[in-house]
Amino acid sequence: MALIKDQQLSLNHVATPDIRFADWLDDDLIKGESVLTNGADDLTCLLANANKLDMIAIEFETFADGRGFSMARLLRREGYQGEIRAVGDVAMDRIEFMHRVGFNAFELRDDQNVNEALTKLSEMSVHFQPSADGKGPAYMA
Amino acid sequence: MYAYNQFDQTLVDQRVEQYRDQTRRYLAGKIPEDEFRILRLMNGLYIQRHAPMLRVAVPYGLMKSEQLRTLAQISRTYDKGYGHFTTRQNMQFNWPTLESVPDILADLAKVQMHAIQTSGACIRNTTTDPFAGATADEIEDTRPWCEIIRQWSTLHPEFAYLPRKFKIAVSGSDSDRAASQVHDIGLHLYRNDAGQMGFEVIVGGGLGRTPVIGKTVRKFLEPQELLSYLDAVLRVYNLNGRRDNKYKARIKILVNAVGIEAFTKMVEEEWQFTKGKDLRLPQAEIERVKGFFKAPDYLSVEHAQSSLETEFIAHPAFATWHKQNTRDHKQPGYRIVVVSLKNQLQAPGDISHQQMDGIAALADEFSFGELRSTHDQNLVLADIAQRDLFNLWLKLTDLGMGRANIGTLTDMINCPGLDFCSLANAETLILSRQINETFDDMNYQYDLGEIQLKISGCINACGHHHVGHIGILGVEKGGKQVYQFTLGGSASNDASLGKTLGRSIDQDQVVVVIGQILDVYVQQRETDETFLQTVQRIGFAPFKERVYGTHQRSAA
Repeated sequence: MALIKDQQLSLNHVATPDIRFADWLDDDLIKGESVLTNGADDLTCLLANANKLDMIAIEFETFADGRGFSMARLLRREGYQGEIRAVGDVAMDRIEFMHRVGFNAFELRDDQNVNEALTKLSEMSVHFQPSADGKGPAYMA
Repeated sequence: MYAYNQFDQTLVDQRVEQYRDQTRRYLAGKIPEDEFRILRLMNGLYIQRHAPMLRVAVPYGLMKSEQLRTLAQISRTYDKGYGHFTTRQNMQFNWPTLESVPDILADLAKVQMHAIQTSGACIRNTTTDPFAGATADEIEDTRPWCEIIRQWSTLHPEFAYLPRKFKIAVSGSDSDRAASQVHDIGLHLYRNDAGQMGFEVIVGGGLGRTPVIGKTVRKFLEPQELLSYLDAVLRVYNLNGRRDNKYKARIKILVNAVGIEAFTKMVEEEWQFTKGKDLRLPQAEIERVKGFFKAPDYLSVEHAQSSLETEFIAHPAFATWHKQNTRDHKQPGYRIVVVSLKNQLQAPGDISHQQMDGIAALADEFSFGELRSTHDQNLVLADIAQRDLFNLWLKLTDLGMGRANIGTLTDMINCPGLDFCSLANAETLILSRQINETFDDMNYQYDLGEIQLKISGCINACGHHHVGHIGILGVEKGGKQVYQFTLGGSASNDASLGKTLGRSIDQDQVVVVIGQILDVYVQQRETDETFLQTVQRIGFAPFKERVYGTHQRSAA
């Protein structure tokens, strides 16, 4: 599973955690600064605890599940500056939107070509709406 | 109308190349079927019963003649020489090949058109009143706001994978011609008691399996905060809408599940984060967009007007057409013309390439080069000087688009049904043929007055049958195609959902039952009472009695 982080192929990175956020929250014995979360988790809780985490991996179990996009957006809005990593069904045709809403790391699906994926991060140079990446809307250019 | 600047053009051009590459990789086996399905839907490409179907966006129904000519050319080059206008003001091509779609999109981009987000679980085409900017009962022109919403919603990175499709409609006249109360978000532009212009925001309307009239979430929204508020609604929906069952995934289900008070609270809380910030519309941007929708160079009333008395007397058919198919314009000396795509020979909403070229020429000659599509599958030439009406009528008649039936029984909304759509359970086009054959007496139709007949071939209700004065829903029962009738629906200000009349009706009895329903109306109506008013006054019993009391061959 190749990882793109901060717009390049990453060779040295923390492994995707298997500690789920709900467990991390409940169990005082579980330490660590990386968690795995998805749309089923309590977002208010996640936002309240984000400052204790270095890395939040947001899981996309299916291609169609769009909740992770809003989760990343809200984390950035809350001021979270750690790594937000997209894991699960992560393919090159979606990472540009993911990047725009605040993901800065992408664990690509096995069938994805990393070099080709890197070119997809900025296929579109025009943005009609502001987002977490600070770009857009076009009329403010 | 809005004209693309370099940013708009770059966006569509880059999008074409992006989709071209996705198609290439899919055909090379590098993109799984399920994944490509979502990607192609975001570019308007369905796979239907017989062939792929491409849905081209017609933003808020507005087109210029050059665009319609390009659609004609596309239909000749890539399709079977015709197109189809939908209940969301878009145009569909029923027969392109999957491989040719990137080239079609490239042709569209040359005339500032696209197929972005016309399908899929994303924000769809924002629709509006086809008379916007011209109608005598206008409060404010909705089109600049529709354009602002269109841009904001286009390739929105956060809302591309919603629980389900999302449809926004905007109304800005006394009379709601945008069916805004049965949309996911309906926006009403109006002036409040303090004289300020703003939006009433209505959420959670919709048709389909669980039809619902939308509920007001905010009574008055300051226009500069339009996008920040929409952003809040979409975020609440994206995070909380159901994803376990695609038939329970629209925002109307969420609103019903949590209740309107709780839902409003969720939206208003989220809005506290977005309002007043980078989504607040600068006045300069509002003015820039409004600048594209200024009134055309109308002739002075002395030059535009014409009494038309001589023509009316010499050509009674023209007089009838004028009465049925034209509407009051805000500019003295002008009329709005509705072009009927409901002639007896074609499926409702279908238009041949010759007709497309013909209308484009008429738009150039008579209507400042622009035209609109309507959500009931007709076209509008919005700015016609009275002195041009007679010539226009002659030319429309030559094109087979002069049928004086707007607002009548045969001006029906009809989804393509089983003939085309893989979701359908029953044929619908056969019904429109039978209805046209049976009710061919226009004088009878005129006497009936306004009747909105809406036909859907399955429960997804693309034909809007729930909000028809008479609604017909095709279903499949025990291998047979049968039809359920509803009465009393309306998509207008008095929005209401029709109620089922009784047992399903066999296909060959549908026109009989329509005749019976109309008989009851004619017998029971009071002076000047419309069909809908009579239904509301006398209730269902007389209709049920007539249809089922004497009905011999109803289905079980």
